[in-house]
Amino acid sequence: MNLWSAFKKEVLEQARTKKLLIAVILLAAFGMLSPLMAKLIPDIFASIPSLASYSSLIPPPTVNDAVAQYVKNLTQFGVLLALLFSMGAVAQEKDKGTAAMVLSKPMPRSSFLIAKFMAVSLTLAIAMAAAAIGGYYYTYFLFEPLKATAFLEMNGLLLLYMLVYAAVTLFFSSLTRTQFVAIGGAAGVLIVFNILAALPNLGKYAPEAMISNAIALMLGQPISNWWGLWVGLITIGVALAGAWLVFRRQEL
Amino acid sequence: MSNIDVLIKYLPLLIPIVLLQIGLMIFALIDLARRERTRGPKWMWVIIIVLGELIGPIVYLVVGREE
Amino acid sequence: MNAIEVNHLSKRYGQVQALNSLNLQVKAGSVYGFLGPNGAGKTTTLRILSGLARADSGDVIIDGAGDGVARRASDHLGYLPEEPAFYAWMTPLEFLNYIGEIFHLEAKLRKKRVGELIELVGLKDAQKRKIGGFSHGMRQRLGFAQAMMNAPDVLLLDEPVSALDPAGRKEILELVLSLRSRCTILMSTHILADVERVCDTIGIIHKGSMVIQSERNELLNRYAVSAIDVELANGSAANAEAIMEEFKQIEGVKAVGVDQTLIHVHTPEVPEVTQRLMKRIVADGIQINKIEVVRPSLEDIFMQLTCEGRVQA
Repeated sequence: MNLWSAFKKEVLEQARTKKLLIAVILLAAFGMLSPLMAKLIPDIFASIPSLASYSSLIPPPTVNDAVAQYVKNLTQFGVLLALLFSMGAVAQEKDKGTAAMVLSKPMPRSSFLIAKFMAVSLTLAIAMAAAAIGGYYYTYFLFEPLKATAFLEMNGLLLLYMLVYAAVTLFFSSLTRTQFVAIGGAAGVLIVFNILAALPNLGKYAPEAMISNAIALMLGQPISNWWGLWVGLITIGVALAGAWLVFRRQEL
Repeated sequence: MSNIDVLIKYLPLLIPIVLLQIGLMIFALIDLARRERTRGPKWMWVIIIVLGELIGPIVYLVVGREE
Repeated sequence: MNAIEVNHLSKRYGQVQALNSLNLQVKAGSVYGFLGPNGAGKTTTLRILSGLARADSGDVIIDGAGDGVARRASDHLGYLPEEPAFYAWMTPLEFLNYIGEIFHLEAKLRKKRVGELIELVGLKDAQKRKIGGFSHGMRQRLGFAQAMMNAPDVLLLDEPVSALDPAGRKEILELVLSLRSRCTILMSTHILADVERVCDTIGIIHKGSMVIQSERNELLNRYAVSAIDVELANGSAANAEAIMEEFKQIEGVKAVGVDQTLIHVHTPEVPEVTQRLMKRIVADGIQINKIEVVRPSLEDIFMQLTCEGRVQA
């Protein structure tokens, strides 16, 4: 019951502090912009005299380019939002004293934490839905219709990828009272995973492998393994459990 | 078909994006005008919001506001 | 029966021993004034009682239900921190409703309770405004309302009035007075006049230990030094030293001090000595502005106990 109360409060907070609006506008805009950019880049090159001579080297854009742009932009901005929206979630409540107000009452600390993760997840899910609708129709107008189920599955994977970093940021946020320390820690994990993803044999174990899986899924290419997905899910679990272990007995 | 024509052809598709961007910019500017305190000077945020395209207003809304 | 019992509570923050084997007993139904200079350990004690901090050793029993873990009693506890914090984007109505939900109050009852509390603390006109724009006094009153949500058996108030202006202080103290007999109140403060006004029991803490704990009147009787103040008028002010010497000779006077034109006469027999003083003043033609019996003051006891270190109770 208290989880539901805390969740309602967090969702209201996302709406009132305009986080929901920001996320929806930003991701929706990039959902639409991505296919458009893919389509127009050769033309833009051609219209700039100094670059015009290179334009013939660029092959005509295909639907695959649109998907690639979409995935690149949304993962970048989605992760950025996940970090920004989670960095203060616990740290700021501790710093301002609101955590002490609420947690000196019969509100379990686990509910307090989980509600925050659920609310950020909901915000990102709504924003991703807006992006997916925009991206789907723009790709349809500019290129060709996408396979709806595959596109849906791809967006689901991208959302899950963002949530990995929301959970990691929440973990660091529960460690500290300073939100910039929290975002710094999360950025550190992001860098480590990205380095891991770039290594030839180990890359498949980074959550980033989910992104290439998502593209392959969309384009109907075979997928050799789902390690990225499993590592991502485990990271979420470990980050949330860790946040609880740290926060459970913390003095407020 | 010349390249400019291509751009003009796709112009209608740009309109929703531009509307989103302008809407967000106006929203951020109104919020800035009403706010008593911001992190950093207000004129700086006006420049960031107006010139920062999509990202400017969002940077303001995320880090510039102070209760 | 004790509503709060604290036994040998110790807590260390780095190099600082915040609490040093603190003992504290609050009788059910009393208003307990928890006094001490800044940094004595008052806030740490209340934070441990409310479950926000944990003691290194010792135990806490609240309302007879605790077993060293105060948090388990949170259903029956109300807590107002020194600086209550709120979500700036919420209204008082929304915040109190949220607190009501945390206590599992059923919707209808919750609405009624929130209305009552808003009325009680006088925030009716501001109930739909954002808390972000609230003054210190309004925040304190809202803090009081949230602490009362569950009609607690035990109410912990951490410096509830120290940051307020005189009008705000009076309001909050009246709220405290109105709750007397409805619940047990433990109120920390360093303002002695407030304690004298509302508390029936007093505990004085110094450097993390209880220096003395007693009923207010008993404490005043035992420790207070009664005194008579004589303020000299201009005509006699120059002779203050001589007049002081003269007062020392009066029967029953323990000691005399002088502070510019003010002469303090200490005595255990106030009425008799006052009469003798007045006779002497008339006989010697001493010009005075006023003569006043000084009420036994907690201030004196407080200074006596905390400045000179421990005094055996």
